[in-house]
This record gives sequence, structure tokens and C-alpha cells, in this order.
Amino acid sequence: MPSTDFEDLLRRSAPQVLGALVRRYGHFDTAEDAVQEALLAAATQWPSEGLPANPLGWLITVASRRLTDLLRSQQARERREDAVARQVPGGDLLAPAADRQESDGDDTLIVLFLCCHPSLTPASQIALTLRAVGGLGTTEIARAFLVPEQTMTRRITRAKQRIKDSGLPFRMPSAPDRADRLAAVLHVLYLIFTEGYASTSGPDLRRPELSVEAIRLTRMLRALLPQDGEVTGLLALMLLTDARRLARTGDDGELVPMAEQDRNRWDADQIAEGVALISEVLPRGEAGPYQLQAAIAAVHDEAASAAETDWAQITALYKVLLRMADNPVVSLNHAVAVAMSEGPSAGLELLERIERDGALTDHRPLAVRAHLMEMSGKPDAAREAYLAAAERALSLPQRRYLFGKAARLT
Amino acid sequence: MKYMIMLYGSQQDYDVQAGKQNDKPSWSAEDIRKMVEHMTSINKDLAESGELVDAQGLAAPALTRRVQFKDGAPVVTDGPYAETTEVIAGFWIVDVSGIDRATEIAARVTLCPGPGGTIGEPSPVDIRPIGEAPSPDDV
Repeated sequence: MPSTDFEDLLRRSAPQVLGALVRRYGHFDTAEDAVQEALLAAATQWPSEGLPANPLGWLITVASRRLTDLLRSQQARERREDAVARQVPGGDLLAPAADRQESDGDDTLIVLFLCCHPSLTPASQIALTLRAVGGLGTTEIARAFLVPEQTMTRRITRAKQRIKDSGLPFRMPSAPDRADRLAAVLHVLYLIFTEGYASTSGPDLRRPELSVEAIRLTRMLRALLPQDGEVTGLLALMLLTDARRLARTGDDGELVPMAEQDRNRWDADQIAEGVALISEVLPRGEAGPYQLQAAIAAVHDEAASAAETDWAQITALYKVLLRMADNPVVSLNHAVAVAMSEGPSAGLELLERIERDGALTDHRPLAVRAHLMEMSGKPDAAREAYLAAAERALSLPQRRYLFGKAARLT
Repeated sequence: MKYMIMLYGSQQDYDVQAGKQNDKPSWSAEDIRKMVEHMTSINKDLAESGELVDAQGLAAPALTRRVQFKDGAPVVTDGPYAETTEVIAGFWIVDVSGIDRATEIAARVTLCPGPGGTIGEPSPVDIRPIGEAPSPDDV
């Protein structure tokens, strides 16, 4: 068996083993350590000794033994009964009834919900999700976020402690809580994805792996919740966005705007999959923000050339999105779409409203103004706006792009 | 021991790099890529050896906002560096065995390629020990 298959198997098993342990013994924090050690043992033993007949069973057994050891040494240190009596509601001390139906799949979902616990900061939620659900080692996570391993270890340890202190039982959140928690889970997955995708501040080869991991985890979540339109929408959005990754930067690492990207470098398979997903869920009605953003990405990805983009449809989608979330960035994108479908003066009118509103103080409204002025055939005004935008832009690629635009207009 | 390694640059340096017209030799996109590669390879090696705490490049000095307290009220001004032309452009915080190792890293930082791949007259790099106050992480 090739080592990547081993890795796949281990990473798929990680949340299931953790779920099984926490269900049986509780102690999320200690169980998580035990699972990491079992995974490590498997990674060193399996390649030389061969795959056990029941890999999942093997992992659960090894992790359980390790957990028992860890708990025993803990018990020696602290008066465990007191803690248990304080933390665990009475019913949870009893073993679940034999006919209680819960699949391994549900365990993965519960682990995911636990990792995205509201008492944790997004940074901790991300770290814990990557470790407990993604099965990534602390070293790998620390590298991906460019922090020392020690810092990441402390962050994960504190996160687990917080979950323990919250006394949250290992079960699915109640129905009203579930929607909130799912939104947090989707947000964390999206943050992991953008961390990998938008690393314009310093090209680092490790970051795209985070996008790949986010897509893998979202795929898994969709397998668990196939009926949830927003989960499918998020997966579609990631696939449709990630499909353009190779074309986003030029040979010298400069930013290439979508209109100038070489569409042959877009990933056709990923686009096809994303379009199929979003086409499946959109007709179900009540589209959420992830579905709408995926639909917009799909319209861009399906256009044979920038000129053939269906801007009228994009405008309509942004209008719906605006009603859902009053967000200045969405307003700005909407203004661009209106300019492209109805002409620059209609876009400028909307832009003026956004500028008066003053919520966006960075270079973006100025850059849009510059583009729209250029479209209207006013090179002097466009040049002035490009320069003003360049002065305000933070990243070097953006500054170079905007100064370059201004220079071409003189 | 933790040290801060500091790199300097003027507003003019930033403008030249960003492709704004200037009388200094201008940077091509390829030059920029080489510079970023240089910095990234340092970061990667420091992350691998476990010595990297943080590394950041700062945005152009013109984007600075200075806040001062005067006559009982905070006074806010833009672009405060009336007396100085060179300000911190970026920094590394490293956790290393001692000042000699930090010096080694700083020396590598100064070997950054410039326009046309030349290593011209790099501006000086400073190393300063970080005080051992307890961090919130240790509480």
C-alpha cells in the first residue's frame, strides 16, 4: 500500500476514533492526545508490518489502551470523582442504551461541532479542527500558520482545556443550537480555505495545502449532511474559486485580474464538479450566502471569455446576496457588476453611495472608481484614482498592479 | 533568547519597489520575486529549525498614523516622520541560542538581492534582545 493511501486512511479514521473514544470514556482533551499517539503508532508500524485486518478497530483499541494509561496517571494526581461529579450530568454517567442509534459518521460530525465550540477564538477553532478532524500533526499546523510548534501546542492545549471546562457533553447540539454551530463550522472551514487561497502577502508553498485540506473536510461534512444546501454551497464555492488558482498569478508572481487570466489554466474538472453541485442545490430554494457566492463564481467560471461573462445574472445574484447581508464588500462587488451589465455611469452612481457611507476606507473603492472612469473614457480621472488607490494599498503586488495601471494611462 | 531583527526602508524605497516613477533604479517584477523568495526562504528555514516566532513586513510609512497625547486629548496626525527618512520596514522575532546566532540570521537578511539581481548597498539591519516579560501564553 503506498504511503499516501496510509495517510488517507489515517486521516479519515482520526475523527472516527476520537468520536468512539469520547463517546465511551468522555475526556475530550485526554482522548485527543491518545488518538494522536495511536495515529503515530499506526504511521510507524503499518508500513513495515502491514495493514491490520480491521484498521479502525486496531486504532480504537490502541487509543483506548493509551487513554486508560493516561487517565490512570491523571487519577493518581487528582481526585477524579469530585471533578466528574461536578462536571457530568447524572444521565451521562450511564452507558448509552444498546439500541441507541448512532453511526460512526455522526461521531465525526459531533467532533467537528466540538472543535468549533463558541467559547474558542477562530484561531483555536481552526487549529483544533485541523488536528482533531483533519488528523494533521501539531508540527504541520504550526508550519502552515508560520508559528513555532510550541505556540501551536499551547494554543491547542488551551482550546482543549476550554472545551473540558465548558462541561459540554459529547452529543449532538440541540436543534436550535445546531444551526448556529453549523454556521460556525462552515465559517471555520471557509477561513481555512481562504488562509490557503489568499496568501498574497508572501508566496508560500505550504499554504495551498490548507485550501486542499479545507476542501477535503467540507467534502466530508457534505457526506454527513447531504441535505444541507449551505454545506453543498460552500463546497461548490471552494471548488469554483480554487479552480482558478493557477491562473491567478503570472510568471513573476504578479496578480492577474480575472479578466486577463488564461482560462485554459483553469481546472475544468473542478469547475464541472462545482457547477454540478450548485445546480443541484439552488433549485431547492432558500439559497444562503455560500450558495449565492458559489452561483456567482459558477457564472464567472462558465464564461468562455471575460467578454462573454453573463453580468446581468451576476448582478441579479449580488442583489439577492445584498438583501441577505448588508456588507460593504458585497455592495462594492454589486456596483462593479452593475457597471459591467448596465454601463459605467450606473456603477459610479452606486459607488458614490458606498463612498459616502465610508465603511470601506482601504484602496478598494478607489480602485473600482479608477476602473469605472477608464471604462467611461476619462483617462485623467482614472489615472488620479489609480494613483490614490495605489497609495492606500497594503500589499506590494496590489501596489505594483495599481501603479502599473496608472502609468499606462499617461 | 528572543531577539528582534529590524530592517529599514524609506518611503522612497517603498515607492521604487511598487513601480512608482523615481530617479533610483527601478525594480522589475522579477526583482521583486527574487526578493520575496529570499525572505521566504529565510522564514521557511527558521520555521523548520523552530527559531521563528514571527516575521512581518510593514506597509509603506506614508500609511502611518501617529497618536499623541497633548493638552489632555489624543492628537492624531498622519505620516509622522518629520525628522527621519528611514523607518522600520519589517522585522523578524526569533527565538535562538544567543546573539551570535541572531547575527548570523541578520547577515543572511542583508544579502537580499536588489534591482537587476545585484546586492548593492543594503541598509543596516539591527538586532535587539526582547525583554523577558511574561507573555499571555504563559499565564
